[in-house]
Amino acid sequence: MKLSRRSFTAGLGAAGAASIFSPSMSFAARSSELNILCWEGYNTDDVLGPFRDLNPGATVRAESGTSDPDMINKLRAGEVNVWDLINLNQPWARGQLYPEGLIKPLDKERFMPYFERMTPEYGNPPYPMAFADDGELIGMPQRYGPFSFVVNTDKISREMAEDMGWKLFLEPDMAGRFGILTYDNWNLIHMCLTGDLNPFKPLDEAGFATFEGVAKKIFAGAKMMTDDLVAMNTALINGEIDAYFTGGTYTASPARLDGMTQIRGITPKSGPIDGKGGVVWAEVTSLVNNPDASPLASDFLEFVQKPEICKAVGFAEGTYNPVAQMGDPQVFKLWDTDELDAIQWDSLEEESALSVEYDSVADYDKLMEIYTAARRG
Amino acid sequence: MQQRERRLGLLYAAPLSLFLLLTFLAPILLVAGFSTMPEKVFSLTQMPDFSAYRTVLEQGYWKSVAWSLFMALLATLILLVICWPLAYGMAKVFKRFTLVLTIGVVMTLFVSENIRLFGWVLTLMKGGLIEGYWRYWTGQGFDAPLYNGPIIVFGLVYVYLPFMLFPLAQGISMVPDDARQAAYDLGASRWQILKEIDLPLAMPGIMVGSLLTFVLAAGAMAESKLLGGRAIITIADEVQTAFTYGQNWPLGSALAMVLIAIIGTVAIWAISKADLDAMMGRKS
Repeated sequence: MKLSRRSFTAGLGAAGAASIFSPSMSFAARSSELNILCWEGYNTDDVLGPFRDLNPGATVRAESGTSDPDMINKLRAGEVNVWDLINLNQPWARGQLYPEGLIKPLDKERFMPYFERMTPEYGNPPYPMAFADDGELIGMPQRYGPFSFVVNTDKISREMAEDMGWKLFLEPDMAGRFGILTYDNWNLIHMCLTGDLNPFKPLDEAGFATFEGVAKKIFAGAKMMTDDLVAMNTALINGEIDAYFTGGTYTASPARLDGMTQIRGITPKSGPIDGKGGVVWAEVTSLVNNPDASPLASDFLEFVQKPEICKAVGFAEGTYNPVAQMGDPQVFKLWDTDELDAIQWDSLEEESALSVEYDSVADYDKLMEIYTAARRG
Repeated sequence: MQQRERRLGLLYAAPLSLFLLLTFLAPILLVAGFSTMPEKVFSLTQMPDFSAYRTVLEQGYWKSVAWSLFMALLATLILLVICWPLAYGMAKVFKRFTLVLTIGVVMTLFVSENIRLFGWVLTLMKGGLIEGYWRYWTGQGFDAPLYNGPIIVFGLVYVYLPFMLFPLAQGISMVPDDARQAAYDLGASRWQILKEIDLPLAMPGIMVGSLLTFVLAAGAMAESKLLGGRAIITIADEVQTAFTYGQNWPLGSALAMVLIAIIGTVAIWAISKADLDAMMGRKS
C-alpha cells in the first residue's frame, strides 16, 4: 500500500476520532472487562492474579484511591460508566452513594450466606452498615480495624494511654511530642471526641467553640503533620515523637510486623458516645450503578470471600488488617502468630467493643471550616 | 502567493490549535465555571453566586496564599544566587565538564520528587543518616532540622534547581566574551561588569529561570507535606483539601483561580519583559 501524506493525515484524524468515541464503542465488550476502584490491597497481583486465571481473556483493572472522598469524586464526576466495583469505608455506601443512585443492591440470595461465616461483629447480626434503609444489601464488609490513636509503648504505657484516652493530647507536657496524621475526616471525629463531643450528632454553638479550642490546642502542640503513615511511624520509631493523633491497626501494623511491637494502636477506655471513645472502620465493597455493568463484578465480590483471597486482601503490601471473614476457621488458620500480633488480634475484640462505628460527621462542613482555619494557624 | 501560503499555514495549524485550545483551556474554564457555583454543588447547572470567593476572603485563606508566594519568592532568590556561579561555569568555564554536570542534574529529574524528598527525610531525621552517625560517633544527639518553615524553602530550592540552572546557563552563554573583555580594557571593575554587562545581557535567562521556579514553587505542596510536616499549609494543599476532604469543589476551584490569577499576572508581566526571541537566537 502506498502511503501518501494525505492518507497518513486522514488516518491520524480517524485514529483521533476513534479515541474520542472509543468509550461508547467499548460498551459492547464490557462482559470481559472489570474495573475496580478500591483502597490498596484489592489491586495487588495476589488478589487480581488468581481472578484473572479464573477468567482468561478478561481485562481486570483495579485502581487504588488515597481517600474515600477522592474515590467518591470520581463517581460523582461521571465515572459510573467506568467502574464496576467501589470499595470504601462503611458510612458512604449507606449515607451517600446508594441514596444518590451511584451504587446498586447485591443479590441477597447469593451473598447473604457469607455473613454466617463472619466474626460475630459483622456476621451476627449481619453488619447493619452493609444494608440500606430499604433493607437492600448494598455491599460486603471485609477489612476493618479500630482507629483512634497510636503510641510508642516504650514512652507511654498502653494502660496510661487507654485510661487517659484523647485527653492525653491536651496534656501540657505532651506539646511537641506528638504528630497528627492528616486524615482530615478522621481528625474531625477524633477532635470532637477529645472535646467530649459526639461528632455524629449536630453540635450547638458551644460545641463548635469547644471543637475550635481543641483543634487549636492540638495543632499548636503537634510537632509534625503528614498524611503519610510510613513517615509517621518512622518518626515514632526514631523518637521524634511519642504518639500520633489519628491512627490504629491500619497504620501501626506495618511497623509491628517489622518487629516494632512497641508501636501500638490505642482505643480509649471511655468517651462521650455511650461511654465509648474509640472508632472502628470497616470497608464495604459495593456494585457501582454502571449503566453497562460487567457480569464479572458480582463474581469478583464472591471471589474475595475465598480463604486465601481474604488473607491476600488482609495482608496486602503496605498495611495489614483483620478481615470479617476471620470468623471462619478456614480463613483464620492462614494467619501465623507474628501476623496476628501485627494486627493486635489479642485486643481486637475488646477494642472493637470500646469503639463506635465510623460514620458521617453531622456538621462536617462547619467543622471542616473550623479545622482548616485552625490548621492554618 | 504569500497570502495563500499564510492561509494554508493557518488551515494546517487549525486542528492542532483547536486541540491545544481544548486541552489547555477547557480544564481551566471548567475550574473557572465551578468557582462561581454555590458551595458544595457537584455540577455546573446551578445559578452562579460566587459565594466560594467570599469564603476565600473571609476565612483567612490569604495566609496560605501569602505563605506560598513568599516561600516561592525566597526559593527563587536563593536559587538565583546559588545557580549564578554554577551556570556561569557551565556556560563559560567548565567546557566538557558541563555535559557531566548537565547529565547529573537532569538525572535527578528521573526520580520522582516525592522519593527524592523522602530521601532527605531519611537523611535529616532523628536517627537518620546525619544525626544517627553523629550520635554513634560522639554520643550526643540533636533535634532533626525537619518540620519547620526553613526546611520547606530548602526543599523548594533542591527540587527546582534544574529549572533555574539551565535557563540561567543559556542566558549567560548569550553574553559575548568580547563585551566583557572590552569592559575590562576600559577599566571596569568585576562588580561593574556583573552589573552593567552580565546581568542585563543574561536577563532573558534570569527571567525565564525565575519565572519557571517561582510558578512551580508557588504551586508546590510535597515539600511542605514531607519535609515541613505541614508546619506551613500551602495554597496547593488547601486546594487539595477543599476538593477531597472538604467535598467543596467550588471552594477548591475558587482557591485555584486565585492562584492562577496571581501566577498568570506575574508570568505575563515577566514574559513581556523577557526577550524570548533573542534568547532563542532569532532576530528580535
